Amino acid sequence: MMEAVESLKQDPRETGEQLRGGLWHTINQRYPGSMITKADYVPLARLSKPLHQSRVTLISSCGVHLKSDRPMDVCHPLGDFTFRRVPSGAKHADLIIHQLKYPHDDADLDINVIFPIERLQELAAEGTIGGLTANFFSFIGYNMDPERFEQTVAADIANAVVDERADVALLAPA
Amino acid sequence: MSVPFLKEAAAAGSDDKLITFVRLHLGDGNEEVGRREIDKSWIQAVKILLQYQPTDGDFIEQVLQRDEATLALLYFSLHFYLIRKSGEWIHDGSR
Repeated sequence: MMEAVESLKQDPRETGEQLRGGLWHTINQRYPGSMITKADYVPLARLSKPLHQSRVTLISSCGVHLKSDRPMDVCHPLGDFTFRRVPSGAKHADLIIHQLKYPHDDADLDINVIFPIERLQELAAEGTIGGLTANFFSFIGYNMDPERFEQTVAADIANAVVDERADVALLAPA
Repeated sequence: MSVPFLKEAAAAGSDDKLITFVRLHLGDGNEEVGRREIDKSWIQAVKILLQYQPTDGDFIEQVLQRDEATLALLYFSLHFYLIRKSGEWIHDGSR
């Protein structure tokens, strides 16, 4: 029993420690130029209506998509400059994570830990939020060209979010 | 590594920076792991060819007519394919 408790303490899922210790501190050494700063942030918009009347969308860099969709390009060394629409009514069984760059064995067991689609469905069903956009959005976070990414994937997703008349966007980084 | 950094390295002939980037990509951020993964893909390719199974030379000829960008990406894809075929696949998203 004590051994079991001890092993739980060592599990980063229990301790909250980084799964790959030191990774973040050395990222600019290992990937020079990948850490960018931006001076022209787009200010966050204030909520224009109560949450229970707001249509919510979900945007994630976790690389999840429908199993029937074309897989993300995980081989391209510069990144995949496309995104996938994920129907907001989809279930875990409909989805797959196509991504090499982060551990997702927990998310494979429960997609909601990284792409809380079923939790949002529940919040919509109980009326806590006004509803969901028809689609959510997902892409691969690994990308070596932030400028091109901003001009392509980010802009395309922003336009799609507007088209789907979202009032609130929940951003879930992976 | 950002694309501007890589372009600068390519223009300056800093091949060491470019191959470091490749190793980091195939090693999921660990250069030494990446070096081993690249070796694994070549080893696997040799093992397959040692079986003397039929090959499709016409297909290869056709593929090599494609544009360089597609072929370069295919080169990366084949590396990952052969690494997976080697039976030791570390890129499955598990820790």
